[in-house]
Amino acid sequence: MTIVNVSDISKKFGELKAVDQLSFEVQPGEIFGLLGPNGAGKTTTIRMILDIFEPDSGEIQVLGGSMTEEKKNQIGYIPEERGLYQDIPLERCLTFLASLKGMPENQSKSELEAYMKRFDLYEYRNQKVKELSKGMQQKAQLISALVHDPQLVIIDEPFTSLDPVNTEMVKDLLVSKRDEGKAIIMSTHQMNQVEELCDRILLIDHGHRVLYGSLQEIQKQFTSRDILVTPIDPLPETIEGVSEVKKLNGRYRLILEEQAQPNQILKNLINSGFELTEFEIAVPPLNEIFIQVVGKKEDEQHG
Amino acid sequence: MAKIWQIIKHEYIKHVFTKRFLFGLLSLPLMICLMFAVVLIVTAFSLNTEPVGIIDHAGILQEISPPTEKGSPFNPQITFLSYDSEDQANSDLNAGTIQAYYVIPENYPQNTQVILTFNEEPDSGVQSQFTQLIRTNLEPFRDMDPQIWERLQSGNNITTLSLDNSREVKQDQWYLILLPFIAGILFIVVVMTSGGYLLQAVVEEKENRTMEIVVTSVSPNKLMAGKIIGNISVGLTQLIAWLIFGWIALKVGGRFWPILGEFSLPMNYILILLLTLLPAFIMVAAIMAAIGSTMTEIQEAQQVSSLVSLSMTVPFYFSNMFMMNPNGPFATALSFFPLTSALTLLMRIGFTVVPTWQIVVIIAILILSALAAVWFAGRAFRLGMLQYGKKLSIKEVLRRGQKA
Repeated sequence: MTIVNVSDISKKFGELKAVDQLSFEVQPGEIFGLLGPNGAGKTTTIRMILDIFEPDSGEIQVLGGSMTEEKKNQIGYIPEERGLYQDIPLERCLTFLASLKGMPENQSKSELEAYMKRFDLYEYRNQKVKELSKGMQQKAQLISALVHDPQLVIIDEPFTSLDPVNTEMVKDLLVSKRDEGKAIIMSTHQMNQVEELCDRILLIDHGHRVLYGSLQEIQKQFTSRDILVTPIDPLPETIEGVSEVKKLNGRYRLILEEQAQPNQILKNLINSGFELTEFEIAVPPLNEIFIQVVGKKEDEQHG
Repeated sequence: MAKIWQIIKHEYIKHVFTKRFLFGLLSLPLMICLMFAVVLIVTAFSLNTEPVGIIDHAGILQEISPPTEKGSPFNPQITFLSYDSEDQANSDLNAGTIQAYYVIPENYPQNTQVILTFNEEPDSGVQSQFTQLIRTNLEPFRDMDPQIWERLQSGNNITTLSLDNSREVKQDQWYLILLPFIAGILFIVVVMTSGGYLLQAVVEEKENRTMEIVVTSVSPNKLMAGKIIGNISVGLTQLIAWLIFGWIALKVGGRFWPILGEFSLPMNYILILLLTLLPAFIMVAAIMAAIGSTMTEIQEAQQVSSLVSLSMTVPFYFSNMFMMNPNGPFATALSFFPLTSALTLLMRIGFTVVPTWQIVVIIAILILSALAAVWFAGRAFRLGMLQYGKKLSIKEVLRRGQKA
């Protein structure tokens, strides 16, 4: 069953078209990256999926139909701007939020205990939320989104305020949830995390769909004719079939001439006696694709 | 339903189990106790314990025995001295040996009138002890005309009749006039406290974004209903606690001032009290929630909400006018305006007979207003919760409510 099916939704705020005829699907067992520059319409899209806003037109199906109170129990959500009750103890806050997801108190108690221990929050359970550090609050927020074992998790910027150790822990958790067959929609600006975690992405800009598909397919679309090599001895400044040799940190980026083929260059290098420890066709980092696509659209708009 | 219950419980526990609530709860009765104590001490020190003279022309007092009981500091036992003539009593009164004297005329058994002479009016305790003295001495008259006996036994009771004779307030039902004021003040304090909590809760949750998480678990209308009921329960807890304190105060106070012990409320009055104050309470709470939903800052929201509280107190400013003309056009008009109707009606009932149709219409208006306010609050909330940093106008809430 498709977890989220968005077809042709649009939403206007006054004169501003926040989302414009957007369509996509999210499947179970995938981490789906919802990307776009600030103000692209990501949060509005998420809020429409969550039934906080109704779209002006188009249709959204969540867990096989329109949103109901019962389905809300199957969704975990962390908004971009975090929100927990500040003036009450951590455990009470999490228990309350879990109860709103239909979890009976005796069940949530044991689940929360396990999660708090996993995230090193158990000893702080009686402290008021406002007394916890930002990172701790972030972890608490994650617990509140996951404790009821939802089918769909929507997280806006999951790694803000987390140190590298906790970032790894959260990544592992998200991956394990995906492996359990849950769908995770992740909205972030950290492209390295998207590359590492996401199976498919949707890039939107000005409410429009710009890129949509599996990460590999998209990167393939943007694959350049560059080659990355790591030789044992330094390379000469000119190589046949290569228009430019760029020295990176211990590696070289070779920009090929118009007619040149990568396997021909590899053959040339080996025939010239160079020993290589690495040879790969450069896949453009998502960051570059993002800048390229969004930048191009900006240029078109302003030009 | 389970989720609404969770929200009610959460709101209730969040506010009730705090030092602030406990302080608010105890401060009012403590203040009243303190005032009582001051009044008691001042009264005890200012009581005149000088003897009182009696000139008995009717010959009903066989002997005036010296006080057997010690009395309390607030009701000291008075010594009564017998005089043969008024001249003698007068000179002792002027000399300050006695504080006053009673003259029991010969025709006392017929009209039960006595004459009290004083320079400074004696305390009420003197009067009741004198009545008691007369009663204990009336036994020999038991065999006389039963009507006279009855009259003598019952003593005096002042009864005030309304002009159209439709109702009467006896001297011992003083509280029916006082009650609307006390109920009104308590009502406003409680409504403003729990309304204030609600206002704060909504604005804060909007500010710290908890709202967005909560509405992805429960519908905005349920959330709003839970919040309103939860905060009303907080207010009712406060009110019930104060009523218990008040009841204890009446029982304890009744031992010193018998007039307090006579307090009891007619059932129909209690019913009207409940049927007006409860919807009024819900209406104000919903208005507070709506204000909280449309405003972005707590200070701003408080300013607007103070307008609501001010208009609720309007009937107090016109209490004189209500007392003089409780069924006049102004009083009647204020009874039909939702924010002032509950208090106005209660005050009018204290002073006059309000036509039944008016009571029914007022209760209907209040219930409808409460429902409308809850509906409006739900709508304002759904729109306002996500418009961070932007105020909502009433027009926008009405216009855009359906689409959001």
